Amino acid sequence: MYPLSSQKRSWTFANDAQLQEFRVEQNTKYIEQHVDEAPGELQEYFLTPAEERLLLKQYEIYLVDFCRRFEPAMPKCVIGTAFSYFKRFYLNNTPMDYHPKEILATCVFVACKVEEFNVSISQFVNNIKGDRNKATDIVLSNELLLICQLNYYLTIHNPFRPIEGFLIDIKTRSNMQNPDRLRPQIDSFIDSTFFTDACLLYTPSQIGLAAVLHAASKEQENLDSYVTDFLFVSAREKLPGLIDAVRSELCCYCCKSFILYIFNLFSEIRLLVKNYQAPEREKVKAIEKKLDKCRNQNNNPDSELYKERLRRLYTDEDDLPAEDGSFHIADVSSDTSAMNISQ
Amino acid sequence: MEEQACPRCKTTKYRNPSLKLMVNVCGHTLCESCVDMLFLKGSGACPECMVPLRRNNFRVQLFEDPMVEKEVDIRRRILRDYNKREEDFATLEEFNDYLEEIEDIVYNLCNNIEIIETNKRIEAYKRDNREVIQRNKTRVGRDEYALEELLELEKAQEEARKKELDELETEHKKKKARDKQALIEELMYSGKDAAQIVTEFAEKAEKQREEEKQLPPPKNMNEFSTGIKFGQTTDPTLLPAPLSEEGPLFVYEPLIPYIDGPTPPEASDIKSMGYITHMRQETPQENAGGFTAALACQRALQEALQCLYYTPNTGLGAAL
Repeated sequence: MYPLSSQKRSWTFANDAQLQEFRVEQNTKYIEQHVDEAPGELQEYFLTPAEERLLLKQYEIYLVDFCRRFEPAMPKCVIGTAFSYFKRFYLNNTPMDYHPKEILATCVFVACKVEEFNVSISQFVNNIKGDRNKATDIVLSNELLLICQLNYYLTIHNPFRPIEGFLIDIKTRSNMQNPDRLRPQIDSFIDSTFFTDACLLYTPSQIGLAAVLHAASKEQENLDSYVTDFLFVSAREKLPGLIDAVRSELCCYCCKSFILYIFNLFSEIRLLVKNYQAPEREKVKAIEKKLDKCRNQNNNPDSELYKERLRRLYTDEDDLPAEDGSFHIADVSSDTSAMNISQ
Repeated sequence: MEEQACPRCKTTKYRNPSLKLMVNVCGHTLCESCVDMLFLKGSGACPECMVPLRRNNFRVQLFEDPMVEKEVDIRRRILRDYNKREEDFATLEEFNDYLEEIEDIVYNLCNNIEIIETNKRIEAYKRDNREVIQRNKTRVGRDEYALEELLELEKAQEEARKKELDELETEHKKKKARDKQALIEELMYSGKDAAQIVTEFAEKAEKQREEEKQLPPPKNMNEFSTGIKFGQTTDPTLLPAPLSEEGPLFVYEPLIPYIDGPTPPEASDIKSMGYITHMRQETPQENAGGFTAALACQRALQEALQCLYYTPNTGLGAAL
């Protein structure tokens, strides 16, 4: 039930500005904490919120590529869930703290589990190029962090089932010929919503309907009568606090504007998708270089600081001698090519 | 599991089922026959660590790991002197420190760490606390004595009860014999009908048997020999909790789903309105699990229509 879900309660936001606010806040918080690390100009050393966005956009593309090439092939809902996790994670964290390439793999791994797509960790890291032992360590050590940052809300309502529902409804109640031919368009629309913040702003049924309407318009079909006659005919009774018979005149007006508003929503979603611009490779490369310097070395598996911290953690736990090499992360050479999902 | 073997003669439990492994203070094992042979004179050196040992200090090894054996031995020796109790300390903290010290000493002695220093420490402790140790020793003795007394008492009670039962038994037998005799005499000398007399006696016997059944049951024990009470006691603090008053009865209220969208079709409408014709028929396997096409169809439709009217500010504020 989406109406009672944590997704609606905690992870659906009013507007884009609100999301932006979260991201800027995380960015400034990080810079405040690490201000003494910067050798010169803060702007030069740390990533700006805009650069962070660009970087994450690039990694969202990597995420889709990774999922597409995943062996065995994964169902759509895993991709959708992984995207939701990725976006939610970076609402409350900055990529300077946790490198997106590590979080990306962890998101997919947790999504596989939650969506009951059963792959073992060894099967999973077989899809990652580079040092597999290291990738295993990174994914497993980040798994709990990710779940914690998601506030343990792991159920994701994807728009796929609502789309099936709309197609069944259209087949039953409208006279459209062969609605199944909309499917390719619907799928490509949903794929492009992944790159937007739609899943943080709209309900899955709204995204689903927007996809169906978009596909219909591409196929030169008109579903307007279906939408107004069936979906919004009951809007009048549904509106809370407006069943007052005395003010039925006003009520009617409200309904109209409400319906207009909802329609506006669908065009908003479509606009969101349309306005999406893929980041430029050159810019992203420059940002990544910058990130390598300013990222939190505490969370960088290649850094001495991280190894030291890990070693201390292990020795604290069961009094192992510090030079015990039974864990992987500490003895991996400084090979930065691990987890290069992008290539 | 590795088989137990004597480290000197390499005999194993398999080859000699009566193999008995012995252990001395140093914690090294030897089999019984090796002990007999090596310690013929009553004392000698351990073949492994060359520590001088006495024959009568050898004990049968109870634990598989000889180190455990050694630790038990050391612990017993240490605790003979370190016999303070919690009451002897002002605070729990001090008592805990004291316990920790004991553990330190035992550990050091077991693992041959700073043996000389540790022994010095023990000596110093003995000197400083001679009085307390002596007092506690006698106290332990007193405690043990009291326990023994209790056991004695219990034994006596048990015996008395046994005797009582025996007496009852003999009484019972005698009575039976008397009854039988009476029956025979009655049959011999009275002029009544024989069958009637037999039934009369049988009834009487039956009655008596029932009476016997109601003999008082043995006195309920409600105390262990250690003085710990068990079973039902009249201790007012342990009375069963009074029954809590039952709350109001459960009243079923039908679930009204919050939809915030067009009303989805009812379960009955799925078929009648033709939604089902657009679904794949469920396979027999799926049906066996309780899944039907109608369920899946209804779920998809519900999810499609839920929250279709959702606006972030939940209400009309944003819409108007």
